[in-house]
Amino acid sequence: MNLTKSDLVFLALAIVGGGFCWWQGGLPLVGAGFAEAGWLLMIVLPQLAAGLLMGGLISRLVGREKVAALLGAQSGMRGLILASAAGAITPGGPFTSFPIVHALWVAGADAGALIAYLTAWALIGLNRLIVWELPLMGAEFTLIRTLACLPLPIVAGLIARALVRLPIFTMRKAPAE
Amino acid sequence: MIVAALIIWTIVAALAVMVFRKQGRPGLVAAGEMGFQQGRALAIRLPLAILAASFLMQVLPVDALVPYIGPQSGVSGILIASVMGGLLPGGPMTSFPIALVILQGGAGLPQIVALITGWSVFALHRVLAYEAPIMGWRFAALRLVASLLLPLASGLLAQGMLALLP
Repeated sequence: MNLTKSDLVFLALAIVGGGFCWWQGGLPLVGAGFAEAGWLLMIVLPQLAAGLLMGGLISRLVGREKVAALLGAQSGMRGLILASAAGAITPGGPFTSFPIVHALWVAGADAGALIAYLTAWALIGLNRLIVWELPLMGAEFTLIRTLACLPLPIVAGLIARALVRLPIFTMRKAPAE
Repeated sequence: MIVAALIIWTIVAALAVMVFRKQGRPGLVAAGEMGFQQGRALAIRLPLAILAASFLMQVLPVDALVPYIGPQSGVSGILIASVMGGLLPGGPMTSFPIALVILQGGAGLPQIVALITGWSVFALHRVLAYEAPIMGWRFAALRLVASLLLPLASGLLAQGMLALLP
């Protein structure tokens, strides 16, 4: 297997992080880091498989023209609202949502819609709200927090659409299939 | 956890049936191949990314800052909580318990709202482990910059709502 440049970046980050652990807590802390990583991988692999499959299946179901029309750069507020609603109902952890976002990117969605989708998934995702927030934090807190966050995915999408015109944020096209 | 997995795989199965009805076996094979290609690109990167994020989780201190985010701490408390949230490690199974402990430890509600927003949109650990490997650094940077003001906005909105409550 070939190492790409981006693989090397992550290798360097892992070494730096491991060095920090060693410096702060010696071998036990490095071991704790390894244990945490192993545990995370176990949890994450089935989710990742599901996300990759969903991404592949969705790209077969919705054609490029349709995604571009619904979620592309010209989709306006409707595109951002649609993307936010889709993000809020996407279940699962980041390993499910990011492959879906990647598939939508390849299919012609623009950065603003993708960011609205991800922000909605992260902030007002129904799945997380029901499974974690409601039981742990209680109904009043959950209600206030959700209402306070409701407009934010669209705000983030609008800001992203403005920023993406700046040269440093110009997106390359998503890698083709 | 198990319920979530069931929901996810039910959706995968439903999508697969829809693809099969529309395009038959070739459609399913093509969808699987696309997923596999993407997965193969992540095979080295992801374990390394997860390892790096797990190491960082071990060394970042968050609980020392609780005294600065009390109910009277206002906008500065909201800002500190936003940054704390971004550094908060782990998924919802660790961060909501931490948020609960901090709330009961004397933090204000708008500050905790900002903290959860900061954790939700910045989550450095998630950017490192999931977003950058899949979407690339430039997309991650664009999303982070576009989200810069969201924790502050959510904290202020929550404060406004609290003021309206009896």
